Amino acid sequence: MSVLKLENIARDFSDGRQMRRVLFPTSLEFDPGELVVISGPSGSGKTTLLSIMGLVLRPTEGVLSLEGRDVTAISDDETAGLRLRKYGFVFQQPMLIEGLSVMENIALAFAVQGARLPRNAGTRAKELLDSLGLGETAHMQPRLLSGGMKQRASIARALIKDPAILLCDEPTSALDAESGQAVMTILKRIAVEERRIVLVVSHDARVFPYADRLIKIENGRIASDTSERYAEGKVDT
Amino acid sequence: MRSLTAFRMVVHDRSSTAGALLGVVAIVFLVGQQLSILFGLLNYMSVLVDHSGADVWIMSPHVRNADAGDLVSGRFVDRAMGLEDVEWAEPVLIGNGLFKTSGGSFESVRVVGVRRPRLAGGPWEYEDADERGLLDFESVTVDRLDLAKLGNPALGEVTEIGGRRVRVGAVTEGARGFQGTLVFAPLEKVKEISRTPPGRYSAVLVRFRPGAFREAALERLRAAMPLYTVYSTDELSRLTRRYYFINTGIGGSFGFSTAIAVLIGIVIISLTMYTSVLGRARDFAVMRAIGGRRRDVAVVVFSEVLIITCMGLFIGFLLLAALLNATSGSSIPSYFPAEVAPILAAGTLLVSLAGSLVALRVALKAEPASVFH
Repeated sequence: MSVLKLENIARDFSDGRQMRRVLFPTSLEFDPGELVVISGPSGSGKTTLLSIMGLVLRPTEGVLSLEGRDVTAISDDETAGLRLRKYGFVFQQPMLIEGLSVMENIALAFAVQGARLPRNAGTRAKELLDSLGLGETAHMQPRLLSGGMKQRASIARALIKDPAILLCDEPTSALDAESGQAVMTILKRIAVEERRIVLVVSHDARVFPYADRLIKIENGRIASDTSERYAEGKVDT
Repeated sequence: MRSLTAFRMVVHDRSSTAGALLGVVAIVFLVGQQLSILFGLLNYMSVLVDHSGADVWIMSPHVRNADAGDLVSGRFVDRAMGLEDVEWAEPVLIGNGLFKTSGGSFESVRVVGVRRPRLAGGPWEYEDADERGLLDFESVTVDRLDLAKLGNPALGEVTEIGGRRVRVGAVTEGARGFQGTLVFAPLEKVKEISRTPPGRYSAVLVRFRPGAFREAALERLRAAMPLYTVYSTDELSRLTRRYYFINTGIGGSFGFSTAIAVLIGIVIISLTMYTSVLGRARDFAVMRAIGGRRRDVAVVVFSEVLIITCMGLFIGFLLLAALLNATSGSSIPSYFPAEVAPILAAGTLLVSLAGSLVALRVALKAEPASVFH
């Protein structure tokens, strides 16, 4: 049984006058231990697909299953709970909350619904920051970090809850080549070593060598999907 | 963590915090200042009744306030004394006169005649000398706050009220009425000044014996003089305040200025909170995306409002206390009852929450999907 399964998922948007289909019926399955890159030109529907898989957007049609449970039509509060427990998000911009320190940003991911922080949360956050090379930044304000450091901090925020699925939206597009490479190496390690599903939406060809599986979308349809090793000279972690 | 997030946002977004804080402080200070003057004036309105030391006031029929009654017969003193519940009954005569200042000018004063030696209905606090100053037939009191207006008469100084010779025998503290300067004098002197017919008084004050059942005693007193107005001191005080509050336009005037102060506060809070939340819309969307519910966003927004309101209440009450301290003992009527403070605080919190509703609406509209480009 796949952890995340899409069956004929489609999505329409209204432009005010008429409905427009941006994602045509799509069926996909994802299992832990692989880094999946979803690629395609702007407006191809890849972000819509990612949003549906991340439970922040409801599909117009189809069935979305998480760990065998149909989560297509569950309530807003339930989707929020699933996002909290099962998902980690890395956005195109790091989107750390200004005013909160790096450590507090990470803690917020744990306690955004008001729950008490687990006893080991501090230790876990410190370990994560250390492993991402951010050990010294725990109590710094996000504005004092470089773009790459912020993105790594946002990865720490995504990982603190030990999520089964990590969704990354253009995680390298705002970074220079070196920082982008570092981030992708981390994501690859998370997928393979920690046995998580890591889904990366990107049109940046530099991330393709890290992919275990590359899905290409064009005009709202899956153009190609390979679980084969994508390219020669693929980067090992 | 949501409260901590709110606190950090409040600290970080200094300009919008300062704006919202200004709104809260404006409400607390402006409304508090308005209320303190209103309560100060209310105290003036019923000052004679409140400090009379009596339980009951017997006045002419159809009285609507303590300052506007016809004269009553002195036989009610004896009739009241005939009831076993009554400890004492004393007449009071209130009139008007012109006080001749040392410079030769005149000031209108309200003269209150009280019977010696009990001096019931007389002064309650003295700045200089004491009640013995009123035992002399010619003695009158003047209030500290009115000294300048009356030409700074010295103790023992002889002058005239209503063309009658009087001598300043004591200086009172806080004896000011809504209708102007209060001068206390022996009953006989006020009869002379106001040219009142013999045996006629403004009111008869009655004090019940200790242990008397007041309600029953009041009813017995009313039954004994059915054609006259027999009010308990509290009733007359309330009636007098209400009369002036409604009939002089003070209520409307203060209500209007208080409403304006609240409105200004709401507008400031609304605008600044709206701007603040608008600037944080992306952060609220991030909160939603990483698992926050709408109510979690609401908790953060309301926590922000709560924190800002608490800070504003502290600053506002501090400023209000400084103002009250500065005006205490001055001729500005200001009095702020302690029990009004929590009501003002709760009201301000409600107004702040109301002011943040627009901002909350914006915050709740933050869609988690918007965090994806």
